[in-house]
Amino acid sequence: MWRNPRLAILRQTFVLAVLIALWEMAGRAHLLNPLYMPSPSQIAAALGELFGSGRIWPHLEATFAAALGGLAIGIVVGIVLGVASALLPFLAELLEPVMTVLNAVPRVVLAPLFVIWMGVGLASKVALSFILVAVLIFFTVFGGIRQVDRRLVERIVTLGGTRWSLVRHVYLPSVAAWVLGSLKVAVGFAFTGAVVGEFVAASRGLGYLMSFAQSTFNCALMFAVIFLILVVVLVIFAAAGRLEKYLLRWS
Amino acid sequence: MSLVGPSGSGKSSLLRAVIGLQEPLAGSVETELPPSDIGILFQDDALLPWKTARDNVALGLTFHGLDRPSALDRADLWLERLGLGGLGGRYPRHLSGGQRKRVALAQVLALTPTLLLMDEPFASLDAIVRARIIQEVAELVERERISVLLVTHDLEEAISLSDTVYLLSQGPRAQIMRQYEVPIPRPRDPVRARTHPAFAPLYDKLWSDLSREVGGGARAVA
Repeated sequence: MWRNPRLAILRQTFVLAVLIALWEMAGRAHLLNPLYMPSPSQIAAALGELFGSGRIWPHLEATFAAALGGLAIGIVVGIVLGVASALLPFLAELLEPVMTVLNAVPRVVLAPLFVIWMGVGLASKVALSFILVAVLIFFTVFGGIRQVDRRLVERIVTLGGTRWSLVRHVYLPSVAAWVLGSLKVAVGFAFTGAVVGEFVAASRGLGYLMSFAQSTFNCALMFAVIFLILVVVLVIFAAAGRLEKYLLRWS
Repeated sequence: MSLVGPSGSGKSSLLRAVIGLQEPLAGSVETELPPSDIGILFQDDALLPWKTARDNVALGLTFHGLDRPSALDRADLWLERLGLGGLGGRYPRHLSGGQRKRVALAQVLALTPTLLLMDEPFASLDAIVRARIIQEVAELVERERISVLLVTHDLEEAISLSDTVYLLSQGPRAQIMRQYEVPIPRPRDPVRARTHPAFAPLYDKLWSDLSREVGGGARAVA
């Protein structure tokens, strides 16, 4: 069983289970200070409490709303600005340096500013998610359109296609392909934006829960929330992956 | 008819000018045909990767005002005719080079052009597929009564497919240097045509003229 590549997942699970068991045993033997390093059972208990009492739902809802809102607006604005810049040289001249700077700096530094501008509510988190996603999508689309296969364009023209046919049959599908190609990264960015935004200042959300756990030295809760974020992002990654596979089934 | 000549003599540019993809540097292109009667086949297939074979073929038809269902029917008909029956639902990525070439051909022929321009259309295919497709094209062109202007660097291809071969001089400012009539009767099988007694002498003559034009360096011929 150690050589069969198809059993890799089994081996990985096995090793993970052993590590968790060792961690648990070390905790029970008082080798780990539960204040800093709670045992897996304590983390599981914290998770159970979050879901059992139902107090996790408003936080999950807040984070999802911020991340998905920022993702949707970011994708739309990124595509519009990217397409417009690719078609209008004067706009590209203005936008490209701004986007390059925004792309180069860690955009999460804007989080405190957004809180001042928009308050501790949902808007400042959506804004942070949005700015993370929009810059990414802008460069994907902007770069992509300039690399559209000339041969496809010529083919459509010689078959008698109009400008609109070019947009519809060449440019739009190309743009869709590039955006889908960076969808997973965008999803990750959107959740980063939401959680960091909540971490800075909020009254709800997974990021807020982490900041609360930090200020009360509740490491079990901290681990529980980190675990939850991992699961959430993995699930959404898988969904994005399936969507990508379906829509790009021609490639 | 075919155009052969050294690289840089502007063979491809000439075709592109005829179909309107680029403006001629000087002079003008005169044709009695509306643009919709001219079709062009490039060396690469340039099929839309996100459309199935039949959608690719139907595309040009819808540009000319046909509604989608009838365009798809016609596309199926042409795919069938080119030996691709049953493969219409495949995406280009899942077709072989020869099959993609046939789809591209169906795409152009479905528009029933009266003049077909071909820019080294078979260069990317391996020898056997290439011979097969050339035979099929010759047959179709004969049956549909299409005129063909073929640009190629393959002298055998030029002779076996054409009534007239034009040799272009070294560019820039290339001119038609010579014109050769091919005395092999039509309809002909382009593979068998190579064994016709008139083939070898004509090939020899074309080759020596072309070699002289590029300064004796046969390697530079392309």
